[in-house]
Amino acid sequence: MSSSNVWTRSRARMKLFPELLAQCSGEAAAYGKCVASTTTGKQELTKNMCVKEFEALKSCFQSAVMLQALGA
Amino acid sequence: MSLTVKSLRALRCLWRGWRCLSSQGGAMNVFDRSMKRRQKQWASSLLDSDKYDYIRDEVGSRLADRVYDVSRTFPLALDVGCGKSHIAEHLSKDIVERLFLTDISDSSLIHQVLKPDCVFIGAMVGSETLYELRCSLQLAELEREGGFAPHISPYTAVTDLGNLLGQAGFKMLTVDIDEVQVHYPGMLEVMSDLQGMGESNCAWNRKSLLHRDTILAAAAIYKEMYGNEDGSVPATFQILYMIGWKPHESQAKPAKRGSANVSFADLSKISKLQTDHQKTNEKP
Repeated sequence: MSSSNVWTRSRARMKLFPELLAQCSGEAAAYGKCVASTTTGKQELTKNMCVKEFEALKSCFQSAVMLQALGA
Repeated sequence: MSLTVKSLRALRCLWRGWRCLSSQGGAMNVFDRSMKRRQKQWASSLLDSDKYDYIRDEVGSRLADRVYDVSRTFPLALDVGCGKSHIAEHLSKDIVERLFLTDISDSSLIHQVLKPDCVFIGAMVGSETLYELRCSLQLAELEREGGFAPHISPYTAVTDLGNLLGQAGFKMLTVDIDEVQVHYPGMLEVMSDLQGMGESNCAWNRKSLLHRDTILAAAAIYKEMYGNEDGSVPATFQILYMIGWKPHESQAKPAKRGSANVSFADLSKISKLQTDHQKTNEKP
């Protein structure tokens, strides 16, 4: 399969995902802790309960993507 | 006879691509088999497809162990869902003389093929398989999107296996569970390995889209909730092994009610009972 189509391109993009996520391990851990705490507490998980932590994670991830794109 | 008629109807249903979850003879149409066939063919066309064989190799060798445990030689055996013949490479000619292999074929039901007093040995994934992935995706979708859709196929529970085998007409059932835990660097590697094995979701009720925000959230949750100290994450594969025999008169049947001649209360005297039995046997 030598052709480049949307599937090969998106698969290639997904391959970079773990490395980029590793650069945001702090934010990821904070978000994970926030969600995990709802499983043990009495409150049920609802939409956007951990939106602050997620926004931090997302912006960290997006800056990692931009750095990677600039560097490549 | 009624079995073949109902199975023909089920086949026609699949060919016309109806999304019918109707029960036909107790069988439910849960999976899109044409999609699964495409997934498996794509997976086998990969250049590095043997990189993804580790689970199937492990299950194949454990299943071949169980074939050896049955103290019989088999003149003829059928391997349904053989993949790359993960079981065949562990069997030898003195136990199984001839072996046929088939995969995702709508061919004959196992009963039409199996002779009486013959054994069916199978392996399936159980309900605890990939529970880490399932829970992470569920929590992420709840938090990010407000609801969640199933992304992992429904798996059989151990308790149901006995009923399923009994309904299929097998006797003298044996079921046991094996858990294989594989460690991966992260959630994305789990998902890409599942794709490489040809095990992507193909249930009719699957959601075809996974938002990138949800993927990011789920990867973070997976690592935080299930991660190990060295940074890797585990993925559990719960394999259920089952053995069932096609009924035959020579097989042991449960004894008739009221025919017991020893009581459970005599369990403490069991060594005395054994010597008494030996003495009666030694008498000329």
